[in-house]
Amino acid sequence: MKTLTIVLTDGPYISEYAEIACKLTENALKRYQVNIFLYLDAVQIPKKGQNPSFVTSTGELFTGLAEKGAVIRACARCAAARGYIAEEETANGSNCKDYLPGIKISSLYELSEMISKSDRVISLSR
Amino acid sequence: MNLTVKTRLEEYGYYEVRIPMKSVFYLLDTAPYGSEKAFGALNAAAVSLNRMQVTLGLYGDGIYLIAAGQDSRKLGVPNLSDILYSYGELRVLVHEPSLFERGLFGETLIETVELVDEEDFFESMENSDCVIRF
Repeated sequence: MKTLTIVLTDGPYISEYAEIACKLTENALKRYQVNIFLYLDAVQIPKKGQNPSFVTSTGELFTGLAEKGAVIRACARCAAARGYIAEEETANGSNCKDYLPGIKISSLYELSEMISKSDRVISLSR
Repeated sequence: MNLTVKTRLEEYGYYEVRIPMKSVFYLLDTAPYGSEKAFGALNAAAVSLNRMQVTLGLYGDGIYLIAAGQDSRKLGVPNLSDILYSYGELRVLVHEPSLFERGLFGETLIETVELVDEEDFFESMENSDCVIRF
């Protein structure tokens, strides 16, 4: 199976890129292994407790993608800068108590690994 | 560019396998310090160096990263041009027309970069396996 990696740098709601990534992933999962790497402000996407007034919670969309098999990782440095701390123990497929299930904080080296092993890479950034 | 891996087969002893190395082009068109993007691009490029053929392309306001003599101490952030200079093995392409447009052509720039015209800049992007924009 071919692999697609999507790199995001924007946080939720400031642009449509997170939603676009979701739609791409939903469709791509039918034929691809999909990795999503959350970099810079995108590490805010999996935060628990989002309650936007008029749109779907982006975090919920992403945790749904993880349930369907997408591998979603967040940069550890960017996450720590925003108060999301990686813990030793993993619960519900996440290693951060402030994150929704299925999404883990990982090293930036995983970005390089994902890119190098992918057949296609899509970068969405303002 | 190839990634050389030493492997071993019982019958043949050690031998080298050359695997074509993937290439990645990090495109930065945002000035340093105003956002985290330049720092993010530098970090992403640095962690990719051992695994891939990496190019950092500076375009538009991104070219301010190579202005020499930056002093970021009062901002409380690292000097990004020093960081860029320290990655000697990183290929840095600078879009020359962007330098002209901003009056930086002829100014003192850090030395470890290549100035290229529009055609060469886009050719390098096109020839890379993937482009990551910051």
